[in-house]
Amino acid sequence: MGQLLTDIFFFNDRPRFERVGFLIFILIILIFPWIVTSAYGRAVAIKFLLFALFGLGWNLIGGYGGQVDLGQAKNVGFGAYATALMIVWWKVPFWLTIIPGMIIAAAESFAIAYPMFRLKGHYFAIATLCVALVWKELFIFWDWTGGARGVEIPIRSGADFVYMQFNSPIYYHYFIFFLFLLQFFFMNWFRKSKLGYAVQAVRDNEEAAASLGINVYRTKVVNYTITGGLGALGGSFMAVYYLYIDPDAVMPLDLSILIAMTVMVGGAGSIWGPIIGAAILIPLDMYLGAWLGAQKRLGIDFMVYAVIMMVIAAKEPRGIWGIIERKIKKETR
Amino acid sequence: MLEVKNLVKAFGGLVANGDISFELQEGEVLGLIGPNGAGKSTLFNCIAGYYKPTAGKILFEGKDIAGWPPHLVTREGIARTFQGMKIMPNLTVEENVMIGAFCRTNERQVAKKEAREILNLMGLTEFGKELPSGLPISVQKRIELARAIATKPKLLMLDELAAGLNPLETKEIIRTLQRFKEERKLTLFLTEHVMEFIMTISERVIVMAAGKKIAEGRPEEVARQDKVVEAYLGERYAKGR
Repeated sequence: MGQLLTDIFFFNDRPRFERVGFLIFILIILIFPWIVTSAYGRAVAIKFLLFALFGLGWNLIGGYGGQVDLGQAKNVGFGAYATALMIVWWKVPFWLTIIPGMIIAAAESFAIAYPMFRLKGHYFAIATLCVALVWKELFIFWDWTGGARGVEIPIRSGADFVYMQFNSPIYYHYFIFFLFLLQFFFMNWFRKSKLGYAVQAVRDNEEAAASLGINVYRTKVVNYTITGGLGALGGSFMAVYYLYIDPDAVMPLDLSILIAMTVMVGGAGSIWGPIIGAAILIPLDMYLGAWLGAQKRLGIDFMVYAVIMMVIAAKEPRGIWGIIERKIKKETR
Repeated sequence: MLEVKNLVKAFGGLVANGDISFELQEGEVLGLIGPNGAGKSTLFNCIAGYYKPTAGKILFEGKDIAGWPPHLVTREGIARTFQGMKIMPNLTVEENVMIGAFCRTNERQVAKKEAREILNLMGLTEFGKELPSGLPISVQKRIELARAIATKPKLLMLDELAAGLNPLETKEIIRTLQRFKEERKLTLFLTEHVMEFIMTISERVIVMAAGKKIAEGRPEEVARQDKVVEAYLGERYAKGR
């Protein structure tokens, strides 16, 4: 038990500058809404934490697992719809909708994992992208999901901790930070667990992994299933944060790509990568959105991402974290 | 311990292993030699579960493991190293060995302790925290060996362990291997191009040529047989002796 807690909450295996850096990061997030009082600045911070959360989850398959999954938005959508529909239909308290949302997303991922993992590399990436797009079209087509009109969660007055509705963004800030930390500590445990090592072994060399007693196929399926479940957590938050969801908001292709980008830019397969990536891409995304306005629809932001992606792929496949780590190693030598 | 009975492996029309039979006793060191393309690696891959045999039986401690997937073969107690090294490049040396140790435990601390112990015995402790890619070949070979041993095998299969090593390094790895064999009661099955290596360490050798087993016996006896010389050096040389 003591060992488990240490594995979850401690970073003893990481260098000191990383631990200090993480503490500073926590402090900044804690005091942020008291320093930045503009609604826009606070919204950027919340979106940053949300995407850092998404990135942490996607890192499981994309970073540690080394499989480019371009369909994480479907899991976000499952989470968002599970929460929104359960609140609208049966008035279920928000906190009780999280787990069902995650279970639905995980179950769907598990079910499609069998055909998916017959594919590798680019083909796997294309398959995940297609599956996510099919789900989005289905959610637009179906009536019970509200179709293209989406789902609206009835607004309550005052601060409501049962349905997590607040007037002030400060509440949402700490709420998403709490969810972020939950997932962060889960990832901290995961990367050191037997499963975590199996996932990384499979990424690095499938044949060698099998020769060490690892069931390659099962490892991939379990990893993909957990990734699915984790994606739904952020989706549940989106439902109560925006109070209105439709397939274009919670399941679009842009979302899948932005999630994958945060991890790749920040540093795939490292625990800090998604946080760094989100800290760069989310402000950039919001800025581009404001600057380009309606032209954003034309896909100019995608062109900017494509350029970033190409530079990262060519110069430093391990992302910004890779650059930082190399710099630090050089200095200590 | 291991009994291979009438093993056949064909790739389409090409018969890589035709009707191979042999036995391996507990604690023995069996060598497998033969010229390029003799089917040595195919035989290894059939036993380790990477190829599904076309016909025949592979009995390991009485169980027919022919056609089992590799991870189950390893869990049953057969570990292997690869001809071209397959070390996980993004994990440290210690983590590489830990993953092997995870085969027998779910506890990270136990796996870590086991990995450190093996690294220490291999003389690799100083490289524990490093990534394997920059290390010399002789070190990488020892990492592969350490990783296979960490799965606590009863039978260890070594595919060209000495390839790429200089004579001094070869001697060193033989010494390490023999020590582990004593301490952990390993049975060894190895294939090798480096004759010096296989002739020193093996108690018995099997010779393969063109997918068939052509000879079996003590190393010095086998090396004198005409069939073996012919397989390596051609008919003319064998007759001219």
